Amino acid sequence: MSTSPPVLAAEGVEKHFRLGRRDIPVLRGVDLQIHAGEKVALLGASGAGKSTLLHLLGLLDKPSGGRVLYDGAPVHDLPVAERARLRHQQVGFVFQFYHLIPELTALQNVLLARMMATSVLGYWGQRKQARAAAKALLEQVGLGDRLHHRPAELSGGERQRVAIARALLAEPKVVLADEPTGNLDSTTAKGVVDLMFSIQQERGLAFLLVTHDEGLAGRCDRVVRMRDGVVVA
Amino acid sequence: MYRLFLALRYLLTRPINLLSIGGITISVWALVVVVSVFSGYLHVVEQHVRTASADAAVIGLPPWAEWSRLSKVLRDDPNVAAAAPRLAHYGMLQRPGQRPPPAPLPGRGALIGGDQPFLSVIGIDPAAELETTGFAGWLVAPEVPPALRCADPAAPLAPRDGRPTVLIGLERMQREGLAPGDRVVLTTAALDTAPDGDKAPRKVQLELTVGGAFKTAHAGFDGNTVFVALDTLRHELYGERDDFVPEIAVRVRDERQLDATVERLERAVQAATERDSRGFGRVLTWRQKHELYLGNVAHQRGLLKIVLIVIMVVAAFLMLATLSMMVTEKTGDIGILAAMGGTPLGVTTVFLSCGLVITGVGIVLGLGSGTLTAVYLEEIRQGVRWATGVDLLKVDVYGLDRVPCYLEPVWMLEVAGMALLTGLVVSALPALRAAFHDPLVSLRGS
Repeated sequence: MSTSPPVLAAEGVEKHFRLGRRDIPVLRGVDLQIHAGEKVALLGASGAGKSTLLHLLGLLDKPSGGRVLYDGAPVHDLPVAERARLRHQQVGFVFQFYHLIPELTALQNVLLARMMATSVLGYWGQRKQARAAAKALLEQVGLGDRLHHRPAELSGGERQRVAIARALLAEPKVVLADEPTGNLDSTTAKGVVDLMFSIQQERGLAFLLVTHDEGLAGRCDRVVRMRDGVVVA
Repeated sequence: MYRLFLALRYLLTRPINLLSIGGITISVWALVVVVSVFSGYLHVVEQHVRTASADAAVIGLPPWAEWSRLSKVLRDDPNVAAAAPRLAHYGMLQRPGQRPPPAPLPGRGALIGGDQPFLSVIGIDPAAELETTGFAGWLVAPEVPPALRCADPAAPLAPRDGRPTVLIGLERMQREGLAPGDRVVLTTAALDTAPDGDKAPRKVQLELTVGGAFKTAHAGFDGNTVFVALDTLRHELYGERDDFVPEIAVRVRDERQLDATVERLERAVQAATERDSRGFGRVLTWRQKHELYLGNVAHQRGLLKIVLIVIMVVAAFLMLATLSMMVTEKTGDIGILAAMGGTPLGVTTVFLSCGLVITGVGIVLGLGSGTLTAVYLEEIRQGVRWATGVDLLKVDVYGLDRVPCYLEPVWMLEVAGMALLTGLVVSALPALRAAFHDPLVSLRGS
C-alpha cells in the first residue's frame, strides 16, 4: 500500500435522513481510505448504506457528521459551486442505469463532460482537441463505430461503455461505480468489468466499486463490507 | 457551454416547443400589426383633423369680447399671420315644409357624419377665413363635382336669390340630393336674457340658399358642419351686437412655435377681456381643441393593446406548460449533470435558456412577420379580396383609401421587452423547479 495520503478518505462519516419526526441513521461512523491505483469493492446487502457512502464520497451529498477528504484535505463542507468543481475535476461516476442523455449521441454524451467546466468561447477554442479525446476514449471502449448513435440505438453494454468513456474524459483521479454491471447480463458484465479494470490499471485510478456480486468484488484489491451503516470488514 | 448545448438539444428534439414559439410569434405579430394599423389610423385621423382646423383657436370668449379689439391684440403677436372671427353654434337643416330627419339610433356614432340631423353651424367671415384656414381649398377640392361647387369661391357666402347662403359638406349634400340654389331651412335656438336676468330659449328659423359644397380630408367634420355668414348668424342669435365674437381662428407663421405662441396669445386675450380682475377666453392649439376626439382614438388603441396582451398571456401559459413538461421529463438528467460537476444554478440556466431561446425566436419571427404584414397589409387585403371577394378591412367606412399603417419603433421595442420579460418569468418557474430537484433522487431511480 502507498504511503502517500489517500486520494479519497472518509473519517467517521455519518448520515441521517429525517422521515417525518423520525431520524433514520444510514451511515454510523464510516472510515474508508482509497489510494491512487487501488481498486476497492464496497460490498453489502441492500440498505447497508453503500450508495449513500458513494454519494457522500463523490460530494453529491453532505454528511451529517464526520469528514470527507480529497488528497488529505477536507472537502465535505465546501460551498456548492466548489464541490461541483472538485467533482468535475477529481471524480468520474458510473451508474447502474447509465444515465446517458437520450437526446445526445454517444460522442455528445462523452463530450458533455468536457463542456461542463468551460464557457462557450473556451469550448469553441478547444473543440477539436475535445472531440479527438472523446473519439479516442470511445474507440478505446470499443465504440469507434457507434459515435453518432443515440442511447436508444445502443445495447445495455454499449451504453455502459459510453458512460465509462464519459466518466474518464475529464481525467479524474477517482472513479466511483455504483453497481455498474447490475443491469447487464453476465457476459456483457464481464466485458464491461474487464474494460473498467484495464483502464483503471492503465491510468492508475483510484476505483471504488459498489456491488452485490462477490465474484466481482473478488477481482478488486480490497473488499470493504458494510452492514447497517457500518464497515464490518 | 453545456447549458446552451443542452438547451438547444432539448429544444430541437421536441417539436412541441414549436407550439410555444408559435404562441409567442402570434402574440408579438398581433401586437405589432394591430397596433401599427391603429397607430396609422390615429396618424391619418390627426392629419385629417389638422387639415380641417385652424392652427389655433380662441374659445370661450365672454359676451363683451369685441372682434375689433381682439383681432388687433392677436395681430400684434409676431407669430400670428392671420385671424378670423367665428361663431360656432348648433342646428338642424331641412328642406322647406319638411320635418328634420329623426335622431340617430342609440349608439350610432357620427364618425363620418351626415347620417344624423344635428349639425355644427359655423358662422364665418369668408374673407378672413380664406386667409386663416384651408377654407379656399375645401371649396375647390377635386372630389367636389363642378355641379356642386359654389359659383364664386372668392365670395362663397354672398347672398343668393335674396337669401343668405349656406355651404354644406359634400357627403351630406349628395345624400340629401341638394344642389347649389336649393332652398333649405336652418332650425336652431337662441338663449335670450330678459331685463330681469331670466334666460329663455327662442326658436330661430333661417331660410337659406345652398351656395355649394365643401370637402376637407376630415369626413366627420364635413358631414356634421355647415358654414353660414357670421353676420347673418350673429344677428339671428345675438341681435345688434355687431362686433361680438365668441371664437377666433388663428393662423401662425411658424408652426414650430405654436405652443409658445398659444401661451402668449392666451395671456394677451385674457388681459384684453379682463373684468373684475379676471381674464376670460382660452387659446388652444388645433391638437388641444380636438384632444377629446384624438384622445378617444388613442384610448381605443390603448384598450386594444390590453386585449392583445391577453394573447401573450395565453402564449405564456402554453410555454409554461411545455417547459414544465420538459422539466418533468428531464429530471432524470439532473442527477447526471450534478454528478459531472453541474450546479443547481447551472441546471436552472439550462431550462431558463430553453425558455429564452423559445422567446427570442418567437420575438424575432413575430417582429419580422408583423412588420412585413403591417407594411404590405393593403396588398394583402387586396390580394384576399381578389382571391375570395372578401374585404377584410373596409377602409372606406373610415373615409380612407388604403389600410393605414404606422410602425412605431418604440412600441416594437416595448413588445419585444414585454415578450422577453414574460418569457423570462415563465421560464424561471420550471427552471427553478429543476434547480430544487434533488439529483440523488434521479440517480437512485432508473
